[in-house]
Amino acid sequence: MLDYIRETLELMQANLTRTILTLIGLVVGVAAIISIQVAAAGMAAAVSGAFRGINVNTFFIFPKSTQGSTQRANLGLSDLTLLEQNVPGIETAIPFGQTRTIVSAGHQHVMLKFGGESYRRFSTAPVVAGHAIARTDVENASPVCVLSSKAFARLFPHAVDPSTVLGQSVYVGPKRYVIVGVLGPATLSTASLGFDINNDVVIPYTTFYNDYQRGRPLFGIQVLGSRDATLATLEANAKRVLSQAHGGSIYQTFDFGFFTKQIDGFFGVVGTIVSAVGAISLLVAGIGIMNILFVSVSERTREIGIRRAIGASRATILIQFFVEAFVLAFSGSLVGMLAGLGIGELAQQLFIARISGTIAALPWTQAMLLATLFATVVTLVFGTLPALRAASVDPIEALRYE
Amino acid sequence: MNDIAIDLQRIVKTYKSGSIEVQALRGVTLRIERGEYVAIMGPSGSGKSTLMNVIGCLDRPTSGNYHLDGIDLSALDDRALAKIRLEKLGFIFQGFNLLPRTDAMKNVSLPLFYAKVSPRERRERARAALAEVGLADRGHHKPSELSGGQQQRVAIARALINNPAVLLADEPTGNLDSTTSEEILALFESLHRAGRTIVVVTHDEEVAERADRVVRLRDGLVLSDTPTARGHFSGGSIVPQEATPQS
Repeated sequence: MLDYIRETLELMQANLTRTILTLIGLVVGVAAIISIQVAAAGMAAAVSGAFRGINVNTFFIFPKSTQGSTQRANLGLSDLTLLEQNVPGIETAIPFGQTRTIVSAGHQHVMLKFGGESYRRFSTAPVVAGHAIARTDVENASPVCVLSSKAFARLFPHAVDPSTVLGQSVYVGPKRYVIVGVLGPATLSTASLGFDINNDVVIPYTTFYNDYQRGRPLFGIQVLGSRDATLATLEANAKRVLSQAHGGSIYQTFDFGFFTKQIDGFFGVVGTIVSAVGAISLLVAGIGIMNILFVSVSERTREIGIRRAIGASRATILIQFFVEAFVLAFSGSLVGMLAGLGIGELAQQLFIARISGTIAALPWTQAMLLATLFATVVTLVFGTLPALRAASVDPIEALRYE
Repeated sequence: MNDIAIDLQRIVKTYKSGSIEVQALRGVTLRIERGEYVAIMGPSGSGKSTLMNVIGCLDRPTSGNYHLDGIDLSALDDRALAKIRLEKLGFIFQGFNLLPRTDAMKNVSLPLFYAKVSPRERRERARAALAEVGLADRGHHKPSELSGGQQQRVAIARALINNPAVLLADEPTGNLDSTTSEEILALFESLHRAGRTIVVVTHDEEVAERADRVVRLRDGLVLSDTPTARGHFSGGSIVPQEATPQS
């Protein structure tokens, strides 16, 4: 067996140009299929990475835009309590509100995202100094704030230890907020999705309401479900409860599953197209390999005759040519696999990593299995006819053949 | 063990070419004993190539019985015939028929590869076989790097390596000059002395003379079967030989 493999490799080397031309199709096909897989896996990891910064059991509820103008549908503070009390599984509900604004501390003036937070936290970033927004802060609408690591770094560029800034104040316009806590290092954000609910500076949502939202209907409600609640149920119940309270008005909910579905859908389409291109190039490649094997059989008719005369049975010749087909197909698949992994890795480095900051591990085992599978299928589908022709060579004719 | 190496009984071989039937062999009966050195002669069209193919198990007779080394070959399938070629026969061809991209060692050890002998043993036996034909130092040369005589000696080493019951040579000197031919014929004689059974198919009287016995074919039948001047027997009666093949 090893001898056949070595022989095939020597033959491939001897006819290098021919071999390369034959295998290009296979390389392209396998590379296309594997690279799209790597990219899709990377994107999936990026999406889940993006959501890591926030509690995934979060959803948003808005009045349906078509009736946004009708007074009846408007949401108010009373709806928060309504949801918390009437929908089991909802931990907390706060007004949805976020602004980009200039935040100042000492001589630093920085444009930051600024919003409300509850004592039951939407953010999953760890607290590294002080404490998070406390229940009493929410109840009293205290003028306190918690900084993200980004806000800390930007507002206090010279501070090393975050605990040293506790008790200091930041200003938003004329309003002053005392720093009570600092959050941990850069959590991944949903910013890449065009929509980031992780704020750089948070204050109690009641404070935020008093300072910025008072007198206007709520734009929307941000809801945190308990760990074991299912989002779909929560959303349905929340819509029903609000609808009843607002005389049949319609509300829509929105969660991160939406993004996941969109991205999955995108990669589904792209994946199908690339796989189809891959499949076509595999077909072409297979025909190319079949052609080269036929050439090889007729070039080596005499050799086959010699082998048969010496004592090789038809089955032995058949195996030899199958091995040859497999070595040819496998080397093509292997190159394609490496190229595919390379392209996938490059795509991750260049695009996906920028979005999410994560790079999924390359699926070596999967790719290896796939390459072997392709090589086997190509060998069986396109190697059979040439191998049968080789096995059916009549040694008497072959030896007469000059 | 059997003292009869080749036993052909009323061998008929008919080829069909369209609607025309050609009878290449029309009932050949021939018995060759172990250790004999026999030349088969005949003009082209006499059926000698067909007879060689039948003896060499490359072709099956249309009718008749063939026993090789005591084995009845009529009932064997392709795989079993391949095994017979592998174990019982050593082929030597006019055109040497070595694998072109493969060095002498590999060419010689090819039958052992098909016999599933371990690589180490293959190398050792190939080295020994090359030494036997005087090419111990040419093991790593490819056929294109060897002279015609050397190539034929590599082919002989390959034919010998499985210790076959019969060495079957088809015009072994046909592509060689007279000096090299003489070398090859001398090698055959020494193999014969060592007890090998040798069948040479040739149209060259000088080559045939070196054998013990000449079988002449004409029109698919045995025309004559006579000992040569060197023959160890006379009058067509067969004298058993004591020699046995050496390993």
